[in-house]
Amino acid sequence: MIPTDNFLDDFLDLVRDETGLPVTAEQTGLDLDQVPGWDSVYLLSLVVALERRTGRQLSMPDVLAVTSLRDIYALAVAS
Amino acid sequence: MPPTTAPPATGARPAAAPGAGPDVRPGAGTEPAAEPATGAPAGTVQELHRAGRLAADYPAVAGLLTDLAGADLTRAGQLLARLDPAEVLRAHPDTPALTVAVTGHGTLSMLTGPLTAELARHGLLLRPALTDFDSYVFELGDPGSALYAADPDLALCVLDPAVIADELPTPWGPDDVDRVFAAKLALLDGLAGRFAATARGVLVLNTLPLPRRLTGQLIDHGSRARLGATWRDGNAALLRLTERHPALVVLDLDPLVADGVAASDPRQDTYAKAHLSAELLAGYAREVGHLARNVAGKAKKVLVLDLDGTTWGGILGEDGAAGIEVSDSYRGTAHRNFQRVAKQLGAQGVLLAVVSKNELEPVREVLRDHPDMTLREDDLVRVVANWRPKHDNLTELAGALNLGVDSFVFVDDSPYECGLVRHALPGVAVVEVDGEPALHVPKLLADGWFDTRALTAEDRTRVAKYRDELVRKDFLDSFDSIADYLRELRVSVRLAAVTEPAADAARVAQLTLRTNQFNLTTERLQPPQLHGLLADPAATVLAVHARDRFGDNGLVGAAILRRDGAALHIDNFLLSCRVFARGIELACLSAVLAHARATGAAEVFGAYRPTAKNRMVASFYPRNGFQPHAEDGTRRTFRHDLTEIPAPPAHIDLTASLEG
Repeated sequence: MIPTDNFLDDFLDLVRDETGLPVTAEQTGLDLDQVPGWDSVYLLSLVVALERRTGRQLSMPDVLAVTSLRDIYALAVAS
Repeated sequence: MPPTTAPPATGARPAAAPGAGPDVRPGAGTEPAAEPATGAPAGTVQELHRAGRLAADYPAVAGLLTDLAGADLTRAGQLLARLDPAEVLRAHPDTPALTVAVTGHGTLSMLTGPLTAELARHGLLLRPALTDFDSYVFELGDPGSALYAADPDLALCVLDPAVIADELPTPWGPDDVDRVFAAKLALLDGLAGRFAATARGVLVLNTLPLPRRLTGQLIDHGSRARLGATWRDGNAALLRLTERHPALVVLDLDPLVADGVAASDPRQDTYAKAHLSAELLAGYAREVGHLARNVAGKAKKVLVLDLDGTTWGGILGEDGAAGIEVSDSYRGTAHRNFQRVAKQLGAQGVLLAVVSKNELEPVREVLRDHPDMTLREDDLVRVVANWRPKHDNLTELAGALNLGVDSFVFVDDSPYECGLVRHALPGVAVVEVDGEPALHVPKLLADGWFDTRALTAEDRTRVAKYRDELVRKDFLDSFDSIADYLRELRVSVRLAAVTEPAADAARVAQLTLRTNQFNLTTERLQPPQLHGLLADPAATVLAVHARDRFGDNGLVGAAILRRDGAALHIDNFLLSCRVFARGIELACLSAVLAHARATGAAEVFGAYRPTAKNRMVASFYPRNGFQPHAEDGTRRTFRHDLTEIPAPPAHIDLTASLEG
């Protein structure tokens, strides 16, 4: 699967829905701690939501090691 | 077109009588969700969040959460959890807010969203006090901890299987589990004792689900059986802690797991140390929501049933009494089960009533004469069968019972009727059943609408008392004047100090928790606090018992007195809505004032703290010879100088014994 802007938009919609945070494309590169309003609990619910959406299981140890939303996105779209 | 506006105020209400409050319709309480939203109606919590209006429109939130479940409800809760409770309270100071401390063994961040949503669903506002990971022993054990500093209404200590599993050696056997469980029980027993000695709220523990990942590690059935027995013994002992700790509630998670909720998620368990699954925490939060509702004094009291398709199969008007299904057919069996559950709830003090679109006479005949009916007229406080809109009937029934319509749960199989009631009366909990009657019972019991801390003797005879009350009202209609009526009613009142061992204490505590209208300060007292008052030599707790020609009303009121030198303070005075407007309140006040003077008091102070529901008693003290004394924004104090004590109403036969 090739990451495209469309997928990124989908991903951002899902992040906004799950967290209620108005995350922008620019913020995807930030350290998660730098994303305004970020809480570690979002990571857990995001994994559940991503797995539901993609129908694939993510590697939780990998997800828990990410530092930015872009890293999560990369894991979600990795083939 | 169906009428879509709120019904006119046609409900019966007790007419004014000596000592009655101003003309405020009983039952016209302001359920938060019933207040008009200030902006355009928003469809979802998410839309309100995006518009930045969650705090401003908080009273509308309960209604928006009604139809949400599972992940949707959790997501809404996560948005609500980001609100500052202080901001909501600034916009809506009357919102009932509860401080809930959350502590436990594992990661509990997944609990915050569901917990916030479940309280909001009941119109309550969550003030969370979260503690550090795995800090429950310190937080509950140290009286100086942050948990105690937060002064919680509820303290949730969430236990999980890892409480035991984390301390097992490798390899382990059933005896190791036995040893670890016993040590944890002793620890929790001590923590519950410390909590009771330190805090005023309710401590909530839970049973530990037994996961397959433990049982499966023992390969012989004998050992596995011993593990199962040991584990259940531990859970049973945990549940029995409530017998010794009145401020403790232990939630049993087994029924949730038995209905198919996974106890844990192996990945969340391993990587995030979240030892209970998000789904189980959501189910746990729902139970806590009902407990919170109860602690906040908003318990549901009445279960109103539709008939055709709900209480029985078929349509009485078309199929006739012989054609409805209530017993041995497939459909009949399901409806009989539903009737049995309704009757079971009724036997525990839930008031049952029928509101149905039907002709009254055929309905009465079925309830009286149908050989296979389980529910009978005697089980019901009132049978309303007519062709008026159901929300009008519900409002009128609430007026007749002297209860707020927000204390009603309504079950109907018609989406149309359910929708109309939800729209017109947002405070009513609507249980929408459908054409599959086998699901009626699970749907009714999915929410613990009637959950309560403890039942009293009053609860078991409540239906009869309320039915007597309706007979009294019909009796009232036959009199030209209230005075004639009251004379004929032959009310006798016994006002007596409650003393240890106090059989009446549980009922008095319950009254403080359930009574909203005639409640001068609305100070809720959990049983341990009440026992504290009974042990205090300066305090006197008075119980009001009443009876009349129709029967015994039981313990219907209470007053909390405090002596301070030559001053007597009436810290609270409350009376069940079943019996006010009969002069009972004036008789009691008169007795308290006479007692104060006879025991050398120079003055009596009465306090009134306004709430959304007790405006009817705002002028209770000034109307009875008290002068305004002080006001601090939340509480008004009135003073009586004891020169002129109002006489008790002549129609009341009063017996008072005020010495403890």
